[in-house]
Amino acid sequence: MFRKSRAHFDVIFTLAWRYLWRNHRRTLIMLAAITVGVWAMIFMTALMRGMVDDMLLNGIRNLPGEIQIHHPQYRDDPSINNSIDPPDKRLLQALQIPEVQAWTGRVRVPAVISSERDSRGITLLGIEPESEVRLSFDLDSIAAGRFLKNSSDHGLVIGAKLAERLETRLGKRVVIMSQDPDNNIVDRGFRVVGIYKAKMASLEELYVYAGLETVQKLLHLDDQISEIAITGENYRNTANWYPQIKQATGENLQTLPWYEADTYLGAMLAMMDGFVLVWIIVIFLALSFGLVNTLVMAVFERTREIGLMQALGMHPTMILYQILMESFLLLFIGLLIGNVLAVSTIIPLQDGIDISAVAQGMEMMGSSSMLYPALKLNDILLANSIVIVLGLLTSLLPAWHAAQLNPIEALGKD
Amino acid sequence: MNITLRMAWRNLWRHKRRTWLTVGAMIFSNLLLVFLISLQFGSYRMMIDNTLRSYTGHMQVQNKTYNDDPKIRNSFAAIIPLADEIRHQLGTDSVAARGVAFAMTSSKQRSYGLQIIGVEPDFETRVSTLPGLINKGHYFTDINAEEIIIGSVLARNLRVDIGDELTLLGSGRDGSFAAGIVIVTAIFESGVADIDRSMAQVPLGYFQSLFSMGDGGHNIVINAEDLPLVPLVQQNVNDIVHQRKELAVLGWNKLQPGLKQAIQADMASAWFMYAVLIVLVAFSVLNTQLMSVLERTREFGTMMALGVKPIRLGSLVITETFIMSSLGLAIGAVLGSALAYYLSIVGFSYPGMEEMAGKFNLPDRMYPSLSPLSIFLGPGIVFFCSLLASIYPALRLFFLQPVSAMKAV
Amino acid sequence: MNAIVCKDLCKTFKQGEEIITGLNNVSIIIEKGDFVCLSGPSGSGKTTLLNAIGGLDTPDSGEISIGDIRIDKLGKGALADMRLHNIGFVFQAYNLIPVLTARENVEFVMQVSGMSAAERSQKSHAILKEVGLEGMEDRRPAQLSGGQQQRVAVARAIVSQPTLILADEPTANLDSVASSQLMDLFTQLNRHHHITFVIATHDIRVMKYAKRLIGMEDGKIISDQINNDQTINVQTVNNKAQ
Repeated sequence: MFRKSRAHFDVIFTLAWRYLWRNHRRTLIMLAAITVGVWAMIFMTALMRGMVDDMLLNGIRNLPGEIQIHHPQYRDDPSINNSIDPPDKRLLQALQIPEVQAWTGRVRVPAVISSERDSRGITLLGIEPESEVRLSFDLDSIAAGRFLKNSSDHGLVIGAKLAERLETRLGKRVVIMSQDPDNNIVDRGFRVVGIYKAKMASLEELYVYAGLETVQKLLHLDDQISEIAITGENYRNTANWYPQIKQATGENLQTLPWYEADTYLGAMLAMMDGFVLVWIIVIFLALSFGLVNTLVMAVFERTREIGLMQALGMHPTMILYQILMESFLLLFIGLLIGNVLAVSTIIPLQDGIDISAVAQGMEMMGSSSMLYPALKLNDILLANSIVIVLGLLTSLLPAWHAAQLNPIEALGKD
Repeated sequence: MNITLRMAWRNLWRHKRRTWLTVGAMIFSNLLLVFLISLQFGSYRMMIDNTLRSYTGHMQVQNKTYNDDPKIRNSFAAIIPLADEIRHQLGTDSVAARGVAFAMTSSKQRSYGLQIIGVEPDFETRVSTLPGLINKGHYFTDINAEEIIIGSVLARNLRVDIGDELTLLGSGRDGSFAAGIVIVTAIFESGVADIDRSMAQVPLGYFQSLFSMGDGGHNIVINAEDLPLVPLVQQNVNDIVHQRKELAVLGWNKLQPGLKQAIQADMASAWFMYAVLIVLVAFSVLNTQLMSVLERTREFGTMMALGVKPIRLGSLVITETFIMSSLGLAIGAVLGSALAYYLSIVGFSYPGMEEMAGKFNLPDRMYPSLSPLSIFLGPGIVFFCSLLASIYPALRLFFLQPVSAMKAV
Repeated sequence: MNAIVCKDLCKTFKQGEEIITGLNNVSIIIEKGDFVCLSGPSGSGKTTLLNAIGGLDTPDSGEISIGDIRIDKLGKGALADMRLHNIGFVFQAYNLIPVLTARENVEFVMQVSGMSAAERSQKSHAILKEVGLEGMEDRRPAQLSGGQQQRVAVARAIVSQPTLILADEPTANLDSVASSQLMDLFTQLNRHHHITFVIATHDIRVMKYAKRLIGMEDGKIISDQINNDQTINVQTVNNKAQ
C-alpha cells in the first residue's frame, strides 16, 4: 500500500513539475504575481504591526502599565481626593508572581506649573525613581541634567517642550501649584534638575516628574498614592494574570487591564488582527483569479494528454491530484520567494523608518515618528497557510473539471 | 463595427472562461477601489470638518509669533474692530474673535489648571459647534458678563452645576495677578472626553479685562462655506489684514498639522495597498494576453503570410485588452458605486471603529462619499495599467517569423 | 477461450442536428491469441467499436465482456483499473506524454499500478531493448521519430503484460519502413506472448498481417474472414520493405 502511494506520488509529482515548466512564461508571470502578493501581505502587515505595537506600548506606558489600580472614582475624577493607600500585604504578595515584571505606586494629580514667564496646566507625577525606571521611564530620554535620585529628591524633571514654553531651563526654579485634600491651594518651588525628550511631543508638555515623598508632603497626603501601575512581559498576555491581581486588590479598588482602561488601545489591537486577516484575504482573492486562470489554461492545453492518461488507466482522482499538485508547486515556490523577499526587505528596516514628516499625524493616532516594522511569526504563518489552503481550495474547481474530462472527447480534440 | 474591433470581440469569447476570469480580477479590484476610495474621501472630509468645526475653524488671523509660541503676550490689539471689518468685507458672520489664557480654576472642592477661551457671544456660534452642544443652561448674552461655560466632565470633576461660582486665578498679559469670580451659566457635552474635560469659555469683554488684554485678543477664527473654498477666502482675508504687519493668516493645515499628516500617512498606506492590487491585476492581464498570443502563433503566422502587418495584429491584441478593461471598468465601477452609494445612505461600521472614530472626531458610522473622482480614479488606473501590461504580448508579434509561426502547434 | 465477446452493440452520436450511427447491432466474438484487423472507411464505426471494447466509451445498448468480465457494467474507476492491468492501447498519434522521457512513458503505467522503482526500471529497460530503442531511453517524445514514438507506445502497452492490445490506426503517420517494423513487432508479440490484437486500420500493409479480417461500414459488420495471405514470412516482409 505504501509502495503504491509512493509510486503514485512520484508520477504525480513528476508530471506536475514538468508541466509547470512546459509553459515557463505563464508560470513565471504567475510566480511573480504570487511573489508580489505574498511580499505585500507580509511587508504591509509588518509595518502596520510595527505601528500598532508602538502605539500600544506608548499607550500602555502612559496609562500607566498593563494593569492599573485606582480609587473607583479616580478615572472619572483624577483628583487628590480619590487617592488610595499603598499596596497592602495581600497585594504585595500577589505582586510576587513571576508574570509581574515591575510595579510602582505614584501620585498623579493635575497641577499648574509657572515660570517667571508663563503658566501651564500639567500632570504632576510623584514617583519612586527606581521602580519607575523599570516600569516606564527610559533613562536615555534624559536630554539634559539627570533623572530623580530617590523619592525624597527635591528636584523636578520636565519635558523639553514644556521648558521651551515656560522659557525656563536646567537649574532654574519653577513653581508647582495644586490642591490638597481639603481644597487648599498648595504650592512649592522646585529646581529643574532634568529635561527629558519624549517620543511624542504632547507628552513632553504634559508630564512633570517629582519625587513621591516630596509630592506627598506638598499635597498633605501622608503615604497615600493615586495609582499602582503593574507591567508584565508581554501586553498580549495580560488577560492571563490579570485575575490574580484583581483578586488580591479586593472590591474597594478599581483594577483594570490596559485594554479596558483604554478601549481605543484594546480596539486597535483587535482591529489590527482583523485588518491583517482581511488584507491577506483580499490579496489572496486578487491572486486567485490569476491562479484559476492559469490552471484552466494548463488543463485546456493538455486536454488530449489527460485523455491519453485516462485511456492508459489513470484514475480520475489521480488526474485531480495532478492538477492540485501543480497548483501546490506554483503556490509553494511563490510563497518561498515571497517570504524570502519580505524578510529581506524588512530586515534592513529593523532600525526604524523615519516618518517624522508626518509625526504630528502619527501622534494623533498615538504612534511615534519612527516606525519599526514588526515581523511576527504568527502573521507569516497565517499568510502562508491562507495562501496554501485557500489556493488549493480554489484549484479544486479546474482540477475537478480536468478529472471529469471524457477520454474519448479529450483524445479527439485537436 | 470596425473589423479589428469585431475580430477582437470574437477572439475574446473563444475562451469565455479565461476572459471572464481576467475581467473578474478587474471587477474585483475596481469594486474594492471604488468602495475604499469613496470611504477614504468621505472619512477625510468628515475628519477635517468635524475637527475644524468644533473649535479650530478653517483659518485664523493671529499674531505672527502665536502659532509657534502660543503665549498670552503674543496677542494683537483692536481685535474686535478687525473682526468686524473682516465680517463686513467678506459679507459673512462666520468670523469670531477669541482670547486664550491659562488659569487655575477652583470650585469649593476642586482646582484644575485650565485653558480659558474668551469668545464673542454673537459670533462664536457661527464658527464652532460647541455652543450648539449645550445641554444645560444658555449661551452668553453679554460680552462683558462674568460668566463661564464648561464641559460636562469638567463640571462633574469640579462638582459644580449651573449657577455655581468658580474662581479664576492666573496672570494677565502684563504679568500682573489676574483673579475673578464667574458663574457657570451653561454646560456642554460634545461626547469627546478630552474636549468635555478641558474646555472653558468666558465672554471676550470680560476676558480682556480679567487678563489685562486691553482691546486685544489672540485669534480671529474664520470659516469658509465649504472646504474647497478655504484658499480663496484665505486670500481675501490676507488682503484685508495685510497692512498690519504683525498679523498672519493661517490655514487649517498650519493650525492642525497633525490632521493633515494623519491623512497623508493614511493615504500613503492606502495607496500602497491599492498599488499591490493594481499590480496583481496587471499580472493577470499580462498572463492572459501572452497566452492568447502564444496559442494563436499559427493563426497569426497565417495572417502575416496573407500580408497582414504586425502592427495590425498588435493593435488587435491591444483592442482585446481594451475591451476586457472596459468591461472591467464599467462593471467594477457600477458595482462599486452601488455598494458605496448604499453604504453612503445606511452608513458603515466595523468592530473597533467607534473607539477609533472618537480619536479623530468621527461619528460612529462612516458614510462613503461618492464623486466622479472617487468612482473613476481607481478603475481608471486599473484600466491604464491593464493596457500597459498588454504591450509586451503585442510587441512579441513584431518578432514573429511567418513560416516558423505557421508550423507551431 | 474467448478474449472478447460483443453482443448487439448499438451507439449513436449527435453531431450538430444530425444523429450519426456509430454502431448498429454489432455482435462479435474474438478468441484469445487472435490478430484481428477492423477495416473500413472512416466513419464506418471501427474506432467506436475499439473504444467500446477498451471501455473508453459505453455503448447505448448491448453487452461487452473481456475475458469473463462484463465491462459495460463497470464504473469509471473499475474501467480505468481494467485498462491498466488487462489492456494496452496504441493510438495513431499523440501517443506519448510529451513531458516524460521514453523510459518514463513506459514506466508511467507501472507507476500508476504501484510498482516499485527498482522493478520498474528493470522492466522498462528490458522492454525498450526488446522494441529496439536501447540508448534512447532518456529522450523526450519530441526528440524521437514517428516510428520510434510508436515503438515506445508499444513498449508501454505491453509492459503491464496485458492480454489484449487495441491499436487505432497505429501506422497512419509512419512511412512504409517504420510501419512494417511496427507490424513485425506486433506479430512477434502475438506469437511469443500470446497477446490478442485488435487493430482498426484502413492501411492495406497492415491488413496483410491479420489472421482475421473484419470489414465494417455504417456501424455494421459487412465481412468477416480468415486471412490466407497471413502466412507471409516476417523475414520476407522486412526484406521487401528494405
